[in-house]
Amino acid sequence: MNTAHKLVEQIKSQHIAPRPQWQYTALKWAVWTGFGLTVLIGALAFSVILFTIQQVDFRLLQHLGHSWLEGLLSLLPLIWITFLALALLLSMYTLRYSERGYKFTLARLAGYSTAFSILLGTAFFISGGAQQLEQAFAIRVDLYQSVQEKKEQLWNRPGEGYLGGTIVRVTPEALQLEDFEGQTWTIDYAAADWPPRIQLEPGEAVKLSGEKTGAARFKATFIRPWGGQPLNGQQPKMRPKE
Amino acid sequence: MLIASKKCNELTDQEVVDRALREVDYFSCLYERYEPALLRYVRRITGAGQDGAEDILQDAFIKIWRNLRGYDPGMKLSSWLYRIVHNEAVSALRKQTSFGKNRTVDWADAEPLLLHHLLNEVETEEGSIPAEQLHSWISQLPQKYREVILLRYFEELDYEAISDVLQIPEGTVATRLNRARKALEKTARATLTPNQKK
Repeated sequence: MNTAHKLVEQIKSQHIAPRPQWQYTALKWAVWTGFGLTVLIGALAFSVILFTIQQVDFRLLQHLGHSWLEGLLSLLPLIWITFLALALLLSMYTLRYSERGYKFTLARLAGYSTAFSILLGTAFFISGGAQQLEQAFAIRVDLYQSVQEKKEQLWNRPGEGYLGGTIVRVTPEALQLEDFEGQTWTIDYAAADWPPRIQLEPGEAVKLSGEKTGAARFKATFIRPWGGQPLNGQQPKMRPKE
Repeated sequence: MLIASKKCNELTDQEVVDRALREVDYFSCLYERYEPALLRYVRRITGAGQDGAEDILQDAFIKIWRNLRGYDPGMKLSSWLYRIVHNEAVSALRKQTSFGKNRTVDWADAEPLLLHHLLNEVETEEGSIPAEQLHSWISQLPQKYREVILLRYFEELDYEAISDVLQIPEGTVATRLNRARKALEKTARATLTPNQKK
């Protein structure tokens, strides 16, 4: 009996059967679903990072009380950056273990995963989904400080020349502004600069730079729209946490 | 009932796979077709004797049988077989205390391509490098270099096939081969005594 014969006899006597086709199909699906999910998570994280960059004025860093690095770390959406990094790593890993994934170098695997996440994330950001996701996250996770909260903190320092809020009344001499803590301010805007696209009318959310001149008085040197509004133009209505 | 060699020879690899899945006897065609090359490879990579290598190959072929439906026809069957046999051999090698302990491999049929390459770099008085000497140098290489040298110069697989066997990118195959050749040259230069060199 030659070796080939012995092998076939062993297979027959031990009733060794080939694995069923469905196991390979299921594995393939699992790998590609895993890749799709991780790319999706990466895309969502990337869209929120874009939203944060759009919302937070990083130029204010130099005016923050603490060090530049400390300020930057407090403004960066670290949790979303972590999500993005983890999602990219996982998507690279799943792609590597796809049928021909070993053909790709690490750089290519990283490139494909990043490219898919960036494209999908940008589309999600443009559609306005990033803001809704970020706010939903802020509502459900107590420890999470939302972009709006960070931004409000940044623009709620009248003593340092930064004030944000909603216009409640407009007269030729002054604006009445309600800040994020509900305090009403009288704003002298005679010498202020503001872009033509901004409508100084009640209900408009704005941010001001200037000088505090009294307990509830502020002299504005520039007025800007609260900014980073979703592209559909709606102002966020829900405050994440009180 | 074992399939006659003549009948096996008339079938392509894919046909053998398809028929084996319907009738296990056809699996013997696959074994007979690839046994000589794969057995030689197992012996070279593990340094095992004939019996040990046959055991490893037998175990590998049981795995091949169990995974036969997972074979992707987009890849050469030989590459897929080498992959499974390679993994089985490496796994067996890890269980050994050292590479090629008590080895009895006959390296006399060492592929001359590598010898020519080395001879261009390291010229010897005799004009050739004895197979035993070459074996000794190759066995000193780290595992990842040894396997690419064996697959490229002894099994004569191309870069694409080596990439499929080792499941690494083709660029990595090229890099490892280059480093392996340099390491071999370095060992050769250090080993050959001055009067052995021209």
